[in-house]
Amino acid sequence: MKTRHLKNVQPGRRRFLKQSALLSAGLAVGFHWVPGVSAADDREAPSAFTPNAWVRVLPDGTVKLVVHKHDSGTGTRTALAACVAEELEVDPMAVEVITPENPFFEAYIHPLWHVFSTGGSTSVSLEYDRLRQAGATARELLVAAAAKRWGLAPAECRAIDGRVFERAGDRSAHYGELAEAAARLPAPESVTLKALSEFRYIGKLRRKRNALEKVTGRLRYSIDLEQPGMLVAVIQRAPVIGARVEGLDAGAALAVPGVRRVIRVPARPDVLGGNREGVAVLADDYWSAQQGRSALQVRWSSSPFAEFDSESLPARFGAALEDPAAPLVRTLQAGDADSAWPAAAKLLEADYGMPYKVQNPLEPICISAELVDGRLHFRGGVQVPSFAREAALTVCGLDADRVVIEELISGGSFGAREAKYWLMEVAYLAQQVATPVKLMNSREDEMRALFGHAATLHRLKGALDSDGRLSALRLRALSPASGEQWEPGYDERADHMDYSTTEAISAWDFAYRAPNLDLGWVRHETGVPTGWYRSVSFIPNVFAVESFMDELALAAGRDPLAFRLAHMQERPRHVRVLMKAAALAGWHSPLPEGTALGLATNQGYGSFVAVVARLSRNEGVIRVERLSCVIDCGLAVAPGGVEEQVYGGLMWGLGHALFDRLDIRGGEVVQSNFHDYRVARMSDMPDIEIRILEGDRDKPSGVGELTSPPVAPAIANAIQRLTGQRLRSTPFELTLPG
Amino acid sequence: MIKIQVNGLSHELSQDLASMPLLWVLRDKLELKGTKFGCGKGLCGACTVHFNGTPARACQIPLSAAADARIRTIEGLSENGDHPLQKAWIEEDVPQCGYCQSGQLMSAAALLASGSPVNDTSIRAAMSGNICRCGTYGRISRAIKRAAAEGGQA
Repeated sequence: MKTRHLKNVQPGRRRFLKQSALLSAGLAVGFHWVPGVSAADDREAPSAFTPNAWVRVLPDGTVKLVVHKHDSGTGTRTALAACVAEELEVDPMAVEVITPENPFFEAYIHPLWHVFSTGGSTSVSLEYDRLRQAGATARELLVAAAAKRWGLAPAECRAIDGRVFERAGDRSAHYGELAEAAARLPAPESVTLKALSEFRYIGKLRRKRNALEKVTGRLRYSIDLEQPGMLVAVIQRAPVIGARVEGLDAGAALAVPGVRRVIRVPARPDVLGGNREGVAVLADDYWSAQQGRSALQVRWSSSPFAEFDSESLPARFGAALEDPAAPLVRTLQAGDADSAWPAAAKLLEADYGMPYKVQNPLEPICISAELVDGRLHFRGGVQVPSFAREAALTVCGLDADRVVIEELISGGSFGAREAKYWLMEVAYLAQQVATPVKLMNSREDEMRALFGHAATLHRLKGALDSDGRLSALRLRALSPASGEQWEPGYDERADHMDYSTTEAISAWDFAYRAPNLDLGWVRHETGVPTGWYRSVSFIPNVFAVESFMDELALAAGRDPLAFRLAHMQERPRHVRVLMKAAALAGWHSPLPEGTALGLATNQGYGSFVAVVARLSRNEGVIRVERLSCVIDCGLAVAPGGVEEQVYGGLMWGLGHALFDRLDIRGGEVVQSNFHDYRVARMSDMPDIEIRILEGDRDKPSGVGELTSPPVAPAIANAIQRLTGQRLRSTPFELTLPG
Repeated sequence: MIKIQVNGLSHELSQDLASMPLLWVLRDKLELKGTKFGCGKGLCGACTVHFNGTPARACQIPLSAAADARIRTIEGLSENGDHPLQKAWIEEDVPQCGYCQSGQLMSAAALLASGSPVNDTSIRAAMSGNICRCGTYGRISRAIKRAAAEGGQA
């Protein structure tokens, strides 16, 4: 899982109360409690528990739930609202769900990363308990207010469907009637949460919010935002990394009708993840801006990157792996692998490579900004509010309290909206003009933005003993650091681990056991910026390990499923998904001629997955016919949402196997649009079978990034069984049905 | 002036906009934001509209080529979001981020309106020009079949 660490934020208590007051401003009556303190009370109070961050009850009975996580299509608005609503006893599909008035309210800080951010498949798993507590606190206060009004004990009242009822009588009151009185009561020190069997929404939701707005085209995305006087900006960014503007003739661009300004946007290489140099064209609308951009005459400086070719990376990476001076971080050590090689009955060695990849959300990056009275307003899909602050500070010199965010749902992210270059660019443009600016990427810009997935090379060596068991395994995962954007100082940690680069190959999450294990990450920086990409380092790490496990099984003459199970220890949930997926796919049943199955597995975010790919071969054409997938994600809060995340992940995995590949030649990205960078279409999709196991029902775990990594190795493993050929670099060269 | 008819309403637009793609005319001149921009090259289907009754990529049609054409956008698919496909889309909970869904629905509506038999083959043929990055293809296919089974054409 993405494990980002930034310096801890220790808010002062006083500051908390001030923010509380700010938060409730504008509401007729809003709850704003802290434990043991009533809303009207302005004393010092602990800030550990703040239900007011998520619940608003208005006197007219309107209930508003705040979802503080960005929704880029992952369904967080539905799943997180359900956690509050379940305990508050309101229908999560019927109440209003809003984004935070102040996204920088301290309760919204990510509990692991200590920044304001959404990502890493953590939204439901990490917020589950405290959102339910927030809902339960509000419920108990409303019940207490009703009890007080009626002269009853709270136990003589119960809340249901937005009302409090007298258990033994006829009296009832809707939440709005009780809100003001409830806000004056001290918040309970602790609350009782509902038992699993009492849930009405959690574990049962099959639909998501906003569906009607989405099927009528009425939902407003960043790209749809209009404001009086707004200019639309597009940026011609340096085609080669590191190039600067040497000469600029904006005359022809400025002569295009509708074009208002041409502004040079300076590069910020001093900021990790900072923007490249560019020339922005600002116009009345996007089309005019693009016409102006194509009329720009820019002379770019030379850059050392002009020599860079991604085609040469496998050789370069291979050499780096042979270099004894290469920085190696050991991620898992057991026994002594080197001493085990001579005794091996069989030795295997293999390299696995993956290319650069691009996230390509269908809504290209788009963000508006405006500088008003010394405050920088961002409007749009801001997935990482902390980056908006960083942009304001590093570009405009504005402190954190000068940043305002009006958040909108995004048309996909997959990591693209966890980059910060575009926030810095729009902050710069907002500072240069007196009007609101909407920065829009074209698809070509999106392809060439970089900050996608890193190219990698994995080198594995394995020893089998005379019983066909794995006696030693060595793995070297060559990759740049990914955590750097988040934590510049991570390398000073004692273990030197970049947890976002060593997923699935570290001591706590490597699936397999053998007497001698030597796993490690070799850091290799090419200078090509990379960023967050759905499933991050699980993708190459699982591709290499799960492919190699099949190669070892084949060499040992063992069934790939049995071979895996024989090397797992104390992983009952992991074993169960493997067994269930095998059963689902008919692993042990006879197959038709020209058909083969391949298996792979993954774990992460607290969840487990196994995928079986079924391939067929017909006159030289290999086709992925079916993917059978079983997951255990603990409690599925919104089962419909879990299923679609699983499907989406499988589709992404199919993309890794068959399509995703970004080339860089002469320092410039080669691909430009969906004709030369293919993504999965409906016609590419095999049959998909998904089973969500009822696992540990007490706790939800992550699903958004779980299921893509095992798909490519499952397909590669099936190809080997079908053709005898082992494919070790993605995308695979297959002739696909047209 | 260039005349176009959008969702039954006639509009007259300046000759200066002759080369502007219909997509941007709809979005920026007529304030119909439901039609989305995804690639600008006719590759992703997000801007699919009905052009004289057939599905077309609005980013590839200069306004001049749309003169006197009848155009239908997602806003004109139904009055209240109750086209059989929209109902089926909600029933099957199709949208994830939702950004591609205007285009998906317009492609699906053209398939149903064509009177062709609705099956896996015709659905794939009609829908494979529309990219969804979230991965809603399975549910789209189910929703189209549901709408067809319920007699939806409109």
